[in-house]
Amino acid sequence: MISVRNLHKSYHGLEVLNGISTEIDKGEKVVIIGPSGSGKSTFLRCLNLLEEPTSGEVWFENQLITDPKTDINKVREHMGMVFQNFNLFANKTVMENITLAPVKLGLMTKEEARNEALRLLERVGLKEKADVYPAALSGGQKQRIAIVRSLAMNPKVMLFDEPTSALDPEMVGEVLEVIRSLAEGGMTMAIVTHEMGFAREVATRVMFMDEGIIMEENTPEEIFTDPKTRRLQDFLSKVL
Amino acid sequence: MLYIKGLGVTVEIAVFAGILGIIIGCILALMKLSEPENGRKHTLGWYIATVYVDIIRGTPSVLQLLIMWFIVFSSSKNGVLVASLSFGINSGAYASEIIRAGILAVDKGQMEAGRSLGLTRGQTMREIILPQAFKNVLPPLGNEFITLIKETAIVGYVSLSDLTRTASQISSRTYEAFMPLIGAAVIYLILIKLLTLLLARFERRLRRSDIR
Repeated sequence: MISVRNLHKSYHGLEVLNGISTEIDKGEKVVIIGPSGSGKSTFLRCLNLLEEPTSGEVWFENQLITDPKTDINKVREHMGMVFQNFNLFANKTVMENITLAPVKLGLMTKEEARNEALRLLERVGLKEKADVYPAALSGGQKQRIAIVRSLAMNPKVMLFDEPTSALDPEMVGEVLEVIRSLAEGGMTMAIVTHEMGFAREVATRVMFMDEGIIMEENTPEEIFTDPKTRRLQDFLSKVL
Repeated sequence: MLYIKGLGVTVEIAVFAGILGIIIGCILALMKLSEPENGRKHTLGWYIATVYVDIIRGTPSVLQLLIMWFIVFSSSKNGVLVASLSFGINSGAYASEIIRAGILAVDKGQMEAGRSLGLTRGQTMREIILPQAFKNVLPPLGNEFITLIKETAIVGYVSLSDLTRTASQISSRTYEAFMPLIGAAVIYLILIKLLTLLLARFERRLRRSDIR
């Protein structure tokens, strides 16, 4: 589904990604772990071109999206993204947050989008918040709404950029619960996270990144019980 | 009676110039924030807007008014129109910096969220960024408008009878300074106080989405 070839990214001469190649297949749940500054968020953001790679290729469903001729907006309609800081539209109500893109982009009528939004809100237990503004929500509620906003576009893949890192500890669970149920529903996803327990539980594959490359990549069992590289052993000894 | 006429001229120029200033300011701000194509440092729009702001902010507004009246529109008889244009062009430069700052103050994540959903930069600007920026810029734009109202007092230089000039004419005719001048000052004060109250009300309404 997503294919990455020799991806490089540098900012003002600082190499953040040093040649990344990997595939993400339909139905996979790839969890990306690694120390901060290892380039994992940058890598994720290159997948939908929120970050423009310096060189290398990203393919999505046999379409070269790093090609400037590709209409990236069309591609993004199929790739949901959830951010660390939620990024709900502050000037829109919850309902407007969810329905804005599907209606604006002509994918649904207002009515259809509303119904879909209500259905999704019910699923995350926030139906009664449809008409409030984001400022009135807790962090956990905001993030669940942000996930719903992405889902309303009916994406083929979901990218999660540290979805629980900005949350108070007691709210982490409710957000992970939503992501877990999505995973069970068969959604293809790539998740950058520091929640090792969660990584181990939902991942079909874990990617350990350090110094802008994929140092080690394996099933969660292998990664957590039998790390091969010194770097990963070090990292796990610090976080587990 | 003369005061009312003078006040009319002042308000007319200020309102026209204010509207023109905001329109020019928006255009300049968007030009300054336009994204350059790969490799370039700035867009053509950025250079145009920068030169515009430099010229307008770098010269006195009285001089701009005189240049407009005696050189650019020397054949025009409509003083109010020329003055409105001159102040509007002037105010646009200041407004553009206010609006630019207001747009930049909106969290970067808002644009990223919009783009990640497949919305274009323009769509996200219109639906998400500009409405939030508007809330940011209302107080400083109100401030700019208040400055503008008082700055129109220099139209006396091109023989327009606004509130200030009317007052000074009356005082030179009656050989009395106190009443005419203080009277004009009080009228300005009331006008601006009313405007301040109106702006505060408007601002409160815009803050609806911030209520926790």
